[in-house]
Amino acid sequence: MHETAISWQRTAISWQRLKTGIRQRLRGHGALPWLVPVLILTVWQVTVQAGWLSTRILPAPWAVVAAGWELLLSGELLEHLGASTARAASGFVIGGGIGFFFGLINGGYRLAENLFDTTLQMVRNVPHLALIPLVILWFGIGEEGKLFLVALGVFFPIYLNTFHGIRSVSPDLIEMGRSYGLRGWALFRQVILPGALPNILVGVRYALGFTWLTLIVAETISATSGIGYMAMNAREFLQTDVVVLAILLYAALGKAADMVARALERRWLRWNKSFLAA
Amino acid sequence: MGIRDKGLEIRLDAVQRRFGERIVIDGLTTRFDAGEFITIVGRSGCGKSTLLRLLAGLDAAQGGQLDADGRPLKEAIDDVRIMYQDARLLPWRSVVNNVALGLAGKRDTVRALALEALSQVGLVDRADEWPGNLSGGQRQRVALARALVHRPRLLLLDEPLGALDALTRIEMHRLIERIWREHRFTAVLVTHDVSEAVVLADRILLIEDGRIVLDQSVELARPRARGDAAFARLEGQVLDRLLTVRTLEQRNQIRGRVSAIRTGDVLAEVEVEITDHEGRRDKVISTLTLRNLREHALEVGSEVLTVFKPNDVALALVDVDDNTATPLRTGERAVA
Repeated sequence: MHETAISWQRTAISWQRLKTGIRQRLRGHGALPWLVPVLILTVWQVTVQAGWLSTRILPAPWAVVAAGWELLLSGELLEHLGASTARAASGFVIGGGIGFFFGLINGGYRLAENLFDTTLQMVRNVPHLALIPLVILWFGIGEEGKLFLVALGVFFPIYLNTFHGIRSVSPDLIEMGRSYGLRGWALFRQVILPGALPNILVGVRYALGFTWLTLIVAETISATSGIGYMAMNAREFLQTDVVVLAILLYAALGKAADMVARALERRWLRWNKSFLAA
Repeated sequence: MGIRDKGLEIRLDAVQRRFGERIVIDGLTTRFDAGEFITIVGRSGCGKSTLLRLLAGLDAAQGGQLDADGRPLKEAIDDVRIMYQDARLLPWRSVVNNVALGLAGKRDTVRALALEALSQVGLVDRADEWPGNLSGGQRQRVALARALVHRPRLLLLDEPLGALDALTRIEMHRLIERIWREHRFTAVLVTHDVSEAVVLADRILLIEDGRIVLDQSVELARPRARGDAAFARLEGQVLDRLLTVRTLEQRNQIRGRVSAIRTGDVLAEVEVEITDHEGRRDKVISTLTLRNLREHALEVGSEVLTVFKPNDVALALVDVDDNTATPLRTGERAVA
């Protein structure tokens, strides 16, 4: 009886060791966060394969991968991906550029703020996607309308955060810069812009989110290329696997853009302790 | 050492600065010799920081004349550098690049100059760190290096050591004194710490209500020992003078006589009857704690000086013999 007790104890100890071992391994390899997604995918695959869930409603994950592979081989996927990315990038540059410009002059000059800010704040309250019917009337269903919408969506987060960033630069530092002989462009580049940069980058991250959101809607209206077009086309032919693929692509692109923005933050804001850990 | 390296000689002639109705600097006239170390002491709000901002060209005087070496000070403003209460380093620039701020020239030359200045304040080994990783004292040393790298002929110090602990302050005093002796610039230090003033100054100026009320030269040999009897005596003199309210010719002070004292459980109200030179009468009430009242020989009929502050009426007991007054500490209500 005494021996049984000891062997029980041993079993208990080795079970404990196994558990902590698994825990450490999961944590050590950063695998723990992936446990739930993998579980969900497995359950999903099983339910579809067993016929409990119709492929009309939701295709099996494996089918989505297969559709992606097929489209990649035919070259279609890259074509649509390229078209969407080009739209997102040019819309971002145009809208972000204009937003940055207005943020700078309104943040830097009272006169400009008095002249423009109220107008911009009023326009800001119009949801830009509500303009779609008007945009179609103005630009037709070509590229210009889509660019316009993306640019408009990007403009406000960049404008607001640049404006706020410029305003929140410490007046003490500006005064110090002046008393050390910095004027005009030198003062702007060495003191004001770096001081506003944390806010501007917050604006960039918001704007990237808006870019993809706008694009999804804009590409579903009428397009001959792009991920949105691919999804709408697939819907016509009941290809749920391609529809899900398109949705996942948008998610991946959004995540990629966010990673770029974070990388910029780590590079440009490395002096700031709160970005070192991120 | 050329003329370029010598300190500026500064003359102030009837300098005035107002903020709205309030006169902060009131017809101030004095002269700082080239290479002299001046410290300015005074209570908060006396105008000492405003005076420093005028000297730095951050603020313009509304009357009078500020000259440097016989020319208007404005023309020599590139030879003037200021150190603030906080270091004001740019957090996005490394220590060495903060020191190099505003220096023109080739990258290598600029860096070499900045490193040389950093070595003078003993921080050359921290050159490539972010300012955020430095302690308060180290930041002020970087700010000092940033000022020195421009070879200023007038260095203004606006309570730069106020936020530092006692030990670091003493180290900084030695550092500032050593650097001042090496470079021979004219230095103007604003402080509310009288012992700091005595340690560093050739001359101590006491400012009250925008005027110089004491101009005390300090003849003690350097470096000065705080424990020294002569040091302590001088420090005591300046402190006494700082605590004594001037009785005559003040715009915000009127003499009066206590007409009634009403005491409650904690506070006491002192009613003062005031008569101006035309014989008009008025009454004013000042509140102080009962404890404070008991510490002073204040009774009905005592002669007092009422001092009108923006949010307070303070009283001072008048010593009729030498025409000075000792304030009753009504302003220090925060102290339990």
